Amino acid sequence: MALLRAVSVLASALLFVQSPRASEYQVKAVFLFNFAQFVDWPTVPAQDPRTPLLIGILGDDPFGAFLDETVRGEHLGLRPFEVHRYHELTDIEGCNILFISRSENERVGQILAALHNRTILTVSDGEDFAKRGGMIQFVNDKNRIRLRINLEAAQAANVTISSKLLRVAEIVRTPRR
Amino acid sequence: MNPTRTLFLIVLLAVAARPAAAQQRDSAEALKRLTLDQLMNVEVMSVSRRPERLFETPSAIQVITQDDIRRSGATSLPEALRLASNLQVAQVDARQWAISARGLNSTTANKLLVLIDGRTVYTPLFSGVFWDVQDVLLTDIDRIEVISGPGATLWGSNAVNGVINVITKDAKDTRGLLVTGGGGTELAGFGSARYGGELGAHTHYRIYGKGFSRDPTLLPNGQAAADAWHMGQGGLRLDWDASAGNRLSLLSDWYDGRIVQASPGHIGVSGGNVVAKWAHPISATSEVTAQAYYDRTHRNIPGTFGEDLDSYDIDVQHRAALGARHHVVWGLGYRLINDRVQNSAGLAFLPPHVARQWFTAFAQDEIALVPERFHVTLGAKIEHNDYTGFEIQPSGRVNWTFSPSRTLWAAISRAVRTPSRIDRELFIPRQPPYFLAGGPNFRSENELAYELGYRHQQGALVLSFATFYSHYHGLRSLEPVPGPDSLEIGNGQDGESYGGEATATYRITDNWQLRAGYTELRIHIWPNPGSADTTRGATESHTPDRQLSLRSSLSLGAQWSLDGGFRYISEIVNQQVPAYTELDARLGWQPLAALELSLAGRNLLHDRHTEFGTPTALRRIERGVYGMAQWHF
Repeated sequence: MALLRAVSVLASALLFVQSPRASEYQVKAVFLFNFAQFVDWPTVPAQDPRTPLLIGILGDDPFGAFLDETVRGEHLGLRPFEVHRYHELTDIEGCNILFISRSENERVGQILAALHNRTILTVSDGEDFAKRGGMIQFVNDKNRIRLRINLEAAQAANVTISSKLLRVAEIVRTPRR
Repeated sequence: MNPTRTLFLIVLLAVAARPAAAQQRDSAEALKRLTLDQLMNVEVMSVSRRPERLFETPSAIQVITQDDIRRSGATSLPEALRLASNLQVAQVDARQWAISARGLNSTTANKLLVLIDGRTVYTPLFSGVFWDVQDVLLTDIDRIEVISGPGATLWGSNAVNGVINVITKDAKDTRGLLVTGGGGTELAGFGSARYGGELGAHTHYRIYGKGFSRDPTLLPNGQAAADAWHMGQGGLRLDWDASAGNRLSLLSDWYDGRIVQASPGHIGVSGGNVVAKWAHPISATSEVTAQAYYDRTHRNIPGTFGEDLDSYDIDVQHRAALGARHHVVWGLGYRLINDRVQNSAGLAFLPPHVARQWFTAFAQDEIALVPERFHVTLGAKIEHNDYTGFEIQPSGRVNWTFSPSRTLWAAISRAVRTPSRIDRELFIPRQPPYFLAGGPNFRSENELAYELGYRHQQGALVLSFATFYSHYHGLRSLEPVPGPDSLEIGNGQDGESYGGEATATYRITDNWQLRAGYTELRIHIWPNPGSADTTRGATESHTPDRQLSLRSSLSLGAQWSLDGGFRYISEIVNQQVPAYTELDARLGWQPLAALELSLAGRNLLHDRHTEFGTPTALRRIERGVYGMAQWHF
């Protein structure tokens, strides 16, 4: 019995050895961090210039430690980065970039409606996120991460996306009925 | 000869910035230093580098990615080439294939240039490719670029109607142990192992070994033909990211195989190669690359002929941006071959032992008349060969990208197919009177090609069209000469070809993609004044008028994938090979990140079918099914 267990543990260890490629969510974490540099939010009067720049994760966290590692010690101007994890919409406060996990796919429409007109850059890798009114969608294409941006959604929320980011992205619209 | 590839360079440039990240790819710090463009180029599962500017390329190019190959269930290079709808790919028997672009196909097709990691795989016997000995570990292929139409200015003679460029992955992208094994019907058994690792921080290597055994095809009467075979191959690759952006690579492959034949004895094939490459950046906008290789092949067909060929090749090229508008590439090349043939009474290459040399020089300038929008590319290649002296192959191309999703391109090119041993030195039988004799004055065959193409992207739909008209002068002919039934090889035929190639890719969802390819092609060959040839191209072209392919790639969740590839190939009239339809399919299951199991079927629609061959030498290809397991530790 002990032998059987030893063999199965060894086998699973061998099978799960990390293959030598950048992990998908490591790359996505770096994208989230980069977005802060290519997005302008409306200035908040009398805001402390040292107010943290908040990246939120709504739903199950797919990043593990990658996002925290990526932003550790980083600043945008004087603003330090912070990562918050949310489970409920009502928890979201002062968030600048919100990553909506695929675990929330079912209620994305509801979430986006609730965030309507709040100056939060919404990001997700859920299917058709941009077409459903989200601002930036990660798309896996041939093992690369591509960006799909719904410019109208960003404009409606007063979030300005730099042309440098738009240039590398595919621009989509929310289908009109 | 085996020179420059603009596309290859574009890709090199696109990935040149990567090594810094790749060395410590686990570190978020390295990823954070990348620009957005570079970040979008980081591979997040496996590798498939698509040339960034593919969409704007002014030629009819299709790219087969690693993912395409894996999902197709292809088990050999020719099978993988079926994925490019701008090629004519026909299986002749268990090991022989007829592969060409824009027609003029035959088992000794001579107007296609094939490169594997920059090494020209070419036999000077007939300027073509022995497909049975061209193999790589398919899982280590990064991509295959397939260009239909002339590529002679950059790539050299033989690139008359197309170029196939097989590019394997960098060693740092093939780390760990990969073990593959399987078997079934037709492909009786196969196995491979590859291990990749690092030697210090900047040097990566891989070694591999593979082998397979294939069943025979069937004779028209249903009995097994004598063409079963087995092969073993091994090799290595070393990549060194040296200081200051220098990159050094060393590649080598060695193979050995035995093929059953109808006459007594086995056909023996063996060979190998060593390739060294060096890339040296001079500045941010200027780079020198050099490549040298040695290649040897041995083929012994008992009772018919034997050949030992040694090839030595060296190429140097320099690319540089001059000002804001000019992108110049130029280079020099030299090749020496040493070919020794053992003749039989029935067939002889005379003299049996020859040494031949080629010198080449080329230059090309891509001029951005309107940067990012309207580019003109002018270039020419000058080559000197021992048969016909100097040959010049110029081309002019324009591409007009009138919106980021629409590109129109056009090209005019001249290309030549220089003489090979078969044209001048073949004698049947060995002693006079000859039934067939090489033509002592055989010259190069010439082509003048006009091409026009358009690419359009509309959301998830990508369309591309290429049309062409080519005029050929001095195609190979069989000229009656005095004597009983005596023929001599001449340049007595002219011809024209025209047609179009269309492809469409539609990504229905992130998990489901459909692709279609359609090619329509007409070839007319006629004797020119003064020729008494009566073949009307029957020895030079065996090409279907049209072919259609449809592929569906579906991912079902994270673990399952289902792929199907259907093809319709119309009749090959001058061989009386009827039209056929066939289907390949593959079901893949990845229960663990490191393990993939798959079941694949080839030619599923019929018990047996014929793709190519004269009525007396037809082989029937049977349905094949095989299972495969692949572990990546």
